[in-house]
Amino acid sequence: MSQEYPIKIYKEPDLRHPSLVLGWSEDMSNLGWKATGYLNRKLKGQEFAEIEPEDFFPLGGVAIEGNLAQFPESKFYARREYELVVFQSGSPGAEWYKFLNAVLDVAEHHCQVKELYTIGAMVSFSAHTAPRRLLAVVNSAEIKEVLSQYELARDLDYQTPPGERPTLNSFLLWIAKGRNIPGVSLWVPIPFYLATVEDAQAQKKVLSFLNERLDLKIDFRDLDQEIREQNEQLAQVRSRFPQIDDYINRLESNLMLSEEENGELIKKVEDFLREGD
Amino acid sequence: MGLRLYQEPQLENPILVAGWPGIGNIGIIAVDTLRGILEAEEFGEIEPWDFLYPNRVLIRKGVLEYLEFPSSKFYFKSMGGKDIIFFVGEEQPTEGGRLYAEGGKAYRMANLVLDVVEKFKCRRIYTSGAAVALTHHTTKPRVWAVPNNESLIPEIRGYGNTVLMSDIEGRGGHGNITGLNGLLLGVAKKRGCEAICLMGEIPVYLQGLPLSYPKASKSVLEVLNHSLKIEVNLDKLDELDQKVERRIEEFYQQIPLEIKGQLDRLKQVTDAQPAEPGPITEEEEKRIMEDVEKFFKKRGGGG
Repeated sequence: MSQEYPIKIYKEPDLRHPSLVLGWSEDMSNLGWKATGYLNRKLKGQEFAEIEPEDFFPLGGVAIEGNLAQFPESKFYARREYELVVFQSGSPGAEWYKFLNAVLDVAEHHCQVKELYTIGAMVSFSAHTAPRRLLAVVNSAEIKEVLSQYELARDLDYQTPPGERPTLNSFLLWIAKGRNIPGVSLWVPIPFYLATVEDAQAQKKVLSFLNERLDLKIDFRDLDQEIREQNEQLAQVRSRFPQIDDYINRLESNLMLSEEENGELIKKVEDFLREGD
Repeated sequence: MGLRLYQEPQLENPILVAGWPGIGNIGIIAVDTLRGILEAEEFGEIEPWDFLYPNRVLIRKGVLEYLEFPSSKFYFKSMGGKDIIFFVGEEQPTEGGRLYAEGGKAYRMANLVLDVVEKFKCRRIYTSGAAVALTHHTTKPRVWAVPNNESLIPEIRGYGNTVLMSDIEGRGGHGNITGLNGLLLGVAKKRGCEAICLMGEIPVYLQGLPLSYPKASKSVLEVLNHSLKIEVNLDKLDELDQKVERRIEEFYQQIPLEIKGQLDRLKQVTDAQPAEPGPITEEEEKRIMEDVEKFFKKRGGGG
């Protein structure tokens, strides 16, 4: 690329053809951010580069989340032992093409990345008690073939509906394809009433795949504990509110709820899980 | 980066006609209709990825097959000394959720269009858009013309059904043209090329509706035909207009009687002469605008 990008490299990472895993904040259930954060925490990823925010994020002030002032972050972490690079970032508000090329410039020219994985969530109308599924969209037939040995759905047919736009992950996969970097977009359908809270089961689903694929040797006991706790909390909501139990029973029987019932279920679950935090 | 020409047609003193989507899609319909009628040939494009976001992805059996972007294409038509280059943009490059182009991207795109203008030695640029006006949908829309050079004013005064900003009551020759239709005029001025923006009138109460307004596109094309000294049959636009007209009438019948009474008075606004008092006073104009605003707020923004 001839254009200068606002990339800051603190320390050149010593890697040999690692894999890159990307997660965005403001994702449904915060799945991408939580899963990449988990990888960094467990594998002790070292921050080595970042993309400056000024061209990509509105900087008219700061957002406040959880009582804290936030600032957009777009950071790269590396862990040589696992040949892994993790990129965590807010979803840019502008200049997507320039931003994604900056990400891939770091991946390609500073890390010699051999393949990349993005993490995303999509809404599901199933109950939380149903097992989470993992879907993959790829940018080449070769990488699709490689994934055939893993337990994930690889035959998705999709076309952007009128009035909607492709996601940042699709855009990234397309640019990566132009650079001959194999890319996989991983998607976990999340029960709609967990979309604004966390879904530990969804995190485990996507992380288990990465663990197996990238041979990360992660011990998931802490995440299993989180899943148990969340399931207990959801069981408490059901026992305390018979109406909510009825709604979830109906979802378990593959029945649809009305818009009003959906809204009530979302609110009760959100309130209950947030109080319990 | 940006401009890609597939071929370099030999053109004689061409003019460039540019259009982007906007209110009532008046400009883009006018430009694209003329391009279609003249069967102009595509010869280049502005590559979209630096300017526009993708609008469609196709995934087949899990494989991302392609990502589609809004197009920004150049076409040409050789017409023996009346050669035309068309530029048709499916979207305006926007930043930060704004509706119309502004900022660095818009400026860069306007400059790329001007690069083509200079390369082919175009003698003039026409852009086209909408003029939101206190008019009625049953009257023939006028065309507001804004040049970027004073020497063009006498010529514009000779066009039929056309007004300059100074001809419009209360404007005093002032106003602004949002988006690329306006910006291109400015960039052309900076780079020494003459340009005129032709804006077809759209009634104020239709500006927020998700409807095209081909009647105004036709007015624009009539002016363009006259200016370019070409004869083009515009029946195609009449057919489109008849379809849209039915939907407008349906909408109009939903407007409360009291407001409709005010709007009906706009049928009398047909005079373009600045010195004559209009059939609607300033106070009445203000009241109509307030009523229309109130009505749309009640409806939830009107689209």
